[in-house]
Amino acid sequence: MGRENTILIVDDIEINRIILAQIFENDYNIMEACNGAQAIEIINSGVEISAMLLDLIMPEVDGLGVLKEMNRSRIISRIPVFLITAANSEEMLLTGYQLGAIDVISKPFMSHFLKCRVDNIIELYRHRNELEKVIAEQVERIDNMNQSMVETLAAVIEFRDCESGEHVKRISRLTRILMTKVSKLYPEYYLPHSEIEKIARSSVLHDVGKISIPDRILNKPGKLTSEEFEVMKQHTVKGCDILQNIPDMMDEGIYNYSYDICRHHHERWDGRGYPDGLCGDEISIWAQVVAVADVYDALTSERVYKKAFDHETAVKMIYNGECGAFNPKVLCAFRKVEKEVIRKH
Amino acid sequence: MRLLDELRILGANVDEGLNRFMGNAALYERMLAKLPDMMSKIAINDGFEAEDVNDLIEKTHSIKGVTGNLSLTPLYEAYTKIVDLLRMGNVEEANRIYLEVLPVQEEILARIRNCQ
Repeated sequence: MGRENTILIVDDIEINRIILAQIFENDYNIMEACNGAQAIEIINSGVEISAMLLDLIMPEVDGLGVLKEMNRSRIISRIPVFLITAANSEEMLLTGYQLGAIDVISKPFMSHFLKCRVDNIIELYRHRNELEKVIAEQVERIDNMNQSMVETLAAVIEFRDCESGEHVKRISRLTRILMTKVSKLYPEYYLPHSEIEKIARSSVLHDVGKISIPDRILNKPGKLTSEEFEVMKQHTVKGCDILQNIPDMMDEGIYNYSYDICRHHHERWDGRGYPDGLCGDEISIWAQVVAVADVYDALTSERVYKKAFDHETAVKMIYNGECGAFNPKVLCAFRKVEKEVIRKH
Repeated sequence: MRLLDELRILGANVDEGLNRFMGNAALYERMLAKLPDMMSKIAINDGFEAEDVNDLIEKTHSIKGVTGNLSLTPLYEAYTKIVDLLRMGNVEEANRIYLEVLPVQEEILARIRNCQ
């Protein structure tokens, strides 16, 4: 055990601290606290503690008080705590265990046994912490791989209607920018950053259903007939059918957002959208945001049936209601992020 | 006679104490030397009725822990009983045991002081 590990000894009696220190000082750095309040201060200072030897009965803050604080700050799962006490109250010791103490060692203790017990637990915790780190790295790697596969799938589908894979990336970026602004401006639409990230990632699959639309309709250079438009509208529900078959590719949160966005990104604020004719806030805020992002990107990109409009024209068309009906609050937020949108688009 | 030998005669489990101090007799004796000062700071009244019970429990509990770690067996055993009796509310019996152990305690502390 290298001396890079630190043991914190907490006891109000100096003699007890010295006895414990001399058992461990050859192999560990030793820190001492003479009551619970000092111990809490040391833990909260960010010093890396490998184990705590904690007396129960102390002035100011006792051992159970220290354990309660460690539970509150959730540090109890990272630092093994050994209660070293002459107290033999069953209730007190049980409470200590319930608060997360790893072991109870009675005074007077046997030094060699104490050293072995502490050494073993520190080694176990070190091993567990390393494992947790490896698992976290692997989870992140798998998550990134899944996201890459999802984005690749979305890009492949986009290629069919002569879009580059950049469309889905632009939609994702726009969604992130706009959703962040909406969340900040309107408490009723507030979402934490982690959820906004999921929504941005989910937005790439909004048009996955287009894979079911025949080429002659998807790539028609002119206006669609009403029958052709009815077929095109099916890409929303067809997309949901596809997503239902790949739920394992993404975590549940992303799946739910993807499904909702895929189905409802063509709904309209005035209820005249499709496929469900949702109205106002019946449409989820994330579907509303992706709808605006999708329309803006479509207007400012070249398509088989039109040239790209510049930013000012696109924005004017959106605000005038020429390309759909949108939530005035979302439009207001869009107005506020226009500069950022232009910069990143 | 060396301190540890004198304490052995008075009932201390010196071998156990040396074991606890990883064979370091000098350190063991240095820790014993701290005991008289600690005991005078704790300062228990001969008559327990003059003290708050919770304070008494805390004080006797501390002495129990230290005397146990120093392997001063007669004191450790007496204070173990005292703490248990106080926790059960039997202050009178606890006081009796305290008064009973006082002479041995004073003898031990005197031997320690003499060697300083």
